[in-house]
Amino acid sequence: MPDQPVRTPDRLLARRTFLARIGVLGATSAVATAIPATTLARTSQAAPAAPAHPDTASVTDAALDRLLDLLRPVLSELSRDTLSGLVVMTSPGPDRFSAAQGTPRPEPGAIEAGGTDFIIEALDGFVPFPDQLSTPLLAALTTALDDTGIALPTSLNTLLLGQVATLDQALLVILRNDQTLPLSLVVALLLNLLATQVNPLSVTGVLSSPFARLSLDEKCRAFELLEGPDADLIGLLDANLPEPLRDSLSGLLRFLAGALLEFSAFGSYNEWAVFDRQTRELTARPVGWELSGYQPDGVVHGWDDFIGYYQDRSEVGA
Amino acid sequence: MRDVIVIGAGGGGPVVAKELAGRGLDVLLLEAGPRHADPDSEWTHLENDANNPLTGFLRFGPQDRGAPAWYRETPQNSFIWQLSGVGGTTQHYFGNCPRAMPGVFTGYDGADRDAYDTAHLFPFSYDELVPYYEWVEATLPVQTAAMGTKESVFFRGCEGIGLPVQTTKTTVEDSFRPQQNAILQPGGWAGKVTGRDDPRLRYPESTGCTFCGYCMQGCSMPHGAPRNLAAKRSTDNSYVPMALTADAWADGGRAAELIADAYVTRIHTERRSGETVATGVTWRVGSTGEVHREDAAVVVLAGGCTESPRLWLNSALPNPNGWVGRGYTDHFFDWMIGLFDERTESSKGAASAARADFPGRGGMENVGLTPGLQQFAAVFSDSGIRGHHTNGRAPKGPWDGPAGRMIGPELKDALMNGIDRLLNILVITDDDVEAHNRVTLSALPADEHGPVPKVRFHQRRRSARTLANREFVARKAAEVLRAAGARKVVRVDWPPLLLHVQSSMRMGRSEDDSVLNADAEARWVKRLFVADNSALANSLGGPNPTLTAQALATRTAEKIFSTYFGGDPWVAREAPTVSTDARISSRLADVVG
Repeated sequence: MPDQPVRTPDRLLARRTFLARIGVLGATSAVATAIPATTLARTSQAAPAAPAHPDTASVTDAALDRLLDLLRPVLSELSRDTLSGLVVMTSPGPDRFSAAQGTPRPEPGAIEAGGTDFIIEALDGFVPFPDQLSTPLLAALTTALDDTGIALPTSLNTLLLGQVATLDQALLVILRNDQTLPLSLVVALLLNLLATQVNPLSVTGVLSSPFARLSLDEKCRAFELLEGPDADLIGLLDANLPEPLRDSLSGLLRFLAGALLEFSAFGSYNEWAVFDRQTRELTARPVGWELSGYQPDGVVHGWDDFIGYYQDRSEVGA
Repeated sequence: MRDVIVIGAGGGGPVVAKELAGRGLDVLLLEAGPRHADPDSEWTHLENDANNPLTGFLRFGPQDRGAPAWYRETPQNSFIWQLSGVGGTTQHYFGNCPRAMPGVFTGYDGADRDAYDTAHLFPFSYDELVPYYEWVEATLPVQTAAMGTKESVFFRGCEGIGLPVQTTKTTVEDSFRPQQNAILQPGGWAGKVTGRDDPRLRYPESTGCTFCGYCMQGCSMPHGAPRNLAAKRSTDNSYVPMALTADAWADGGRAAELIADAYVTRIHTERRSGETVATGVTWRVGSTGEVHREDAAVVVLAGGCTESPRLWLNSALPNPNGWVGRGYTDHFFDWMIGLFDERTESSKGAASAARADFPGRGGMENVGLTPGLQQFAAVFSDSGIRGHHTNGRAPKGPWDGPAGRMIGPELKDALMNGIDRLLNILVITDDDVEAHNRVTLSALPADEHGPVPKVRFHQRRRSARTLANREFVARKAAEVLRAAGARKVVRVDWPPLLLHVQSSMRMGRSEDDSVLNADAEARWVKRLFVADNSALANSLGGPNPTLTAQALATRTAEKIFSTYFGGDPWVAREAPTVSTDARISSRLADVVG
């Protein structure tokens, strides 16, 4: 990880705005009072002239562990809400996420089809994601500042700057957990960042995720920025990339924009949620099958749809 | 020391293995992915279980399904849909076997001779390849596709725009036809009965295609049939069984040895008499991490268009003109969805049993998919989101509205119209060989098999001919759907989908822009041949590549046999054994335990 900048109050204000934009500040407001404060811009165990680092900040390990226990489920819910906001783009239904994007539907949709879990499992369990890309991406998310001047509502201004620093420290620990990269969280934070670029008012509201608060049209705009990819986004993310990978990052974002929507569509209409891995059978009729009229009587081994041969020609010459 | 080691048991490698095993050579066939020896216990007819590119049993990854898929860097919106495993990508192919356009070969003198990628022709004539086409067509076998409802709708559209019917194997004009495909025609009750576990749908009450609609999920139908009598002739059902039983059907034949879960990481060479000569390979066993090395008189590289150049580069083999990995063609697909009021039965029958061809332009075929894949295809776009943003593209034409991915209510309503009330058309572009579409080694971390491939496609900077061809065929596809009665036509404008892949290790007439000579032997490494789609000189003018790759691999097997084993060519003077032969079924029961 690159060195952290000096954590002056100005920087922490900008950092606080950034944390609000990626959804972390809003999601943690419920546990805010449990967040202890670090000491600001002071020397710690390091040499007197050295900047303070998260690793050397002055929150005790025990306090940090308690915070992590509180924070993990909160961030997990933030991920889920964000990715629920994603999958309903491809199959809106009677759920609150579809309602929030302005396209409620009476029949089952992505949420009922297990689309959220499908995406989370795919991202966290199976997407090969090289450290060379994930490490700088995480560095960007854990150090980026926001100086765009987005005004935070008072409800998001309750954390003391020292608490913001502690929150940052905890986020860093969670994102750098090298056992399993929580790619779903990384994707969720990125989508929220784009969401607040499209509509700054999405930093607060119902649901815990800025992205999930957007209208369908605004979500499409967020994808336009991701797919472009947007120069500001590239500027933020590639600052930490070694030179041979600069081109790889913008390519990755283009790929990601497509893949997120394609996987959402695939997962929202296939049998994943009702497939029993042990018996290799379905436990219920998949939502996508019901919506599309596919296999009305379940899996078959043949159809009576053989009409014959065109113009009765069953073989041709050279 | 083997006679021949074949790297890769996909569409091409097993062809060489089968032919040379049939000649009595000692052949080792290595496959990086799994071998699905018992589909009844390993497969389902469910699209996520089968086709999820991360976790499905048909994916590009190791034998252990709990382990992640193998990573390739694709620095653009695109998707590589190749498969590992015995059968390779033919496991999920649709079995379509059109011959290449004659105009992509040296010596073609038709009136349309300038309409093709004339800078990258095959280094021999179409007529020279015809006997090899005939040999493969008889071996698989290739037959005229049976017709279902969705084909009848496609034909009605083609008739409606005034296209003539093609009744020959060689394409000579703009025309439509049932596919010539490697799917056994339905016999007995097949195609006449709907049901599950119906005894009439079991072999031998049913033979050939039962119209189950699961081509993409791998074919083992009809139930109870010997592996070499499964309807779809993917190489796991045709050429691999023949290679493994060569002693049973060929006089003097010797059964090839197949090792799956064996990832070749290096091709070895040495200097002999001033030349670089291939001497053998090293592979890694996926389940144990053990490393093995074997030597061979001849090495045949058939890892596919992405992995073959990767292995070449990782083996530090010569690349003096820089063309290893270059000239990758993919038919720059596009996708057109037509919504109908009437039933089309899109999810039933062989996935794609009808086509139209436009020499010098490309072609198109109908495609039926399962619900999740249908929606995947509908959102896979380089033109942004319809009605929201264009991503700098979103062309307009005889389709409804701007091209792009559907989203939200429009996407859902399209499927709720009914999976069996739509017709998809795959637009297949006759695309040019271009040096900048290529495989290199990624700067991202290596995996256990070495540096990973980076596949770069510059879809927005393709040649003017490629782009014009794609627009031409896309318009034709929309017109066919309209003429067939579609109420709504959506053009998706796909980014590169690497399913038809060709020419990344191309043979060519010029030493300046090819890797292989006219015998498919590497120009700079003797005794090293390439026998997958990467050996093709170009994109064939649009026809689906498997048949031509297999015909070329058959020719390559002859070249190997005559050049290095003192044998005589056989295709011109013998009759092939068909892969459904009872001797193969009988011996398979012994060798597959």
